[in-house]
Amino acid sequence: MTCREAITLLPLFFDGELDAHQMRAVALHSARCASCEVELRHMERVQTLVSESVVAALDDVDFAAFWRGIDDRLGAVRVSWWMQLLDRAGSSERRWLIQVPAYAAAAAIAAFALLMLTRAPQPTTQPDATQIASTDNAAVIDSLESNVEAVTVLNDPETRTTVLWVSDDSVGEEGVP
Amino acid sequence: MSCVPQVAVATLLAVAGMHAAGWAQGHTAGVPTSPAAAEEAVEVRIRAVLASNSSKEFDTRLASMQRHFNTLFPYSSYRLVKEEQQRVPWGGKVAFDIPGGRYVIVMPREFKNNRVSMKVMVIEGARPIVDTAISLRNHGTFLVGGPRQPEGVLILSIGADTLP
Repeated sequence: MTCREAITLLPLFFDGELDAHQMRAVALHSARCASCEVELRHMERVQTLVSESVVAALDDVDFAAFWRGIDDRLGAVRVSWWMQLLDRAGSSERRWLIQVPAYAAAAAIAAFALLMLTRAPQPTTQPDATQIASTDNAAVIDSLESNVEAVTVLNDPETRTTVLWVSDDSVGEEGVP
Repeated sequence: MSCVPQVAVATLLAVAGMHAAGWAQGHTAGVPTSPAAAEEAVEVRIRAVLASNSSKEFDTRLASMQRHFNTLFPYSSYRLVKEEQQRVPWGGKVAFDIPGGRYVIVMPREFKNNRVSMKVMVIEGARPIVDTAISLRNHGTFLVGGPRQPEGVLILSIGADTLP
């Protein structure tokens, strides 16, 4: 293993996320390579500093007040009618209350599954030419980034089509059509 | 005269064979066989079209897009140079090589309100010339144009179809 290969794996090695083979290869390499060993020590130091900072921040949190707040809210929690029903159904003499609807639901699901499994297979839905021409091709663009000089978004109402037009003077002279 | 029944039988057998072949094709061409598969897959299709003013030739394979191209672009010739479709699971990633050493990466994300949301990247060399997140109506197509080719301009048609 070369340093170039090892350096990309060091963070994963440090976090124990490599498989056994890679773990062994990185361990062997770092044992012999001074620069990778230094890199590992640097990671250890960073982790130690982060841990110390987190522990220090946790010490400042008042957990007593935190639990008091939770306790207060727990008191105000309402039990839903469904949970109340389940609770009542839990007693042996009323267990049939929950069992009957459960069996009915299971039977309905089984019937539906049987229907789906025995239904004739549907043909593939490859759009033909007419479909493509008549489809609303207007796209909604949530984000757009580019590494070229300009990208123009065209929304043509006639064909209901969205076009992203890339204009890059470094590779060509033609702009937006 | 005596060959008439034989012809009829042969015709019947041929028709039955064609039906069987069509049925088999419909069932082996990747049509999902379970509801779970249908929910987890989308077919991404891409067409790379070379547009130029060098002639007035319109590739007949692009007939479905002719009105779009004539309305949207100022070119007289359109030639399909690559067509490919690949099935990809939701949340997966699919890559297409396109002319000019470029490639397109499509990552379908979700299907909601009959629209397919996906991330599309067009990469030229090491740089993304388009990196976009869009939502497109199911079976819809959107176009990315402008990358230069020696013979003209490349127009990409990118579409998505949920399966089945």
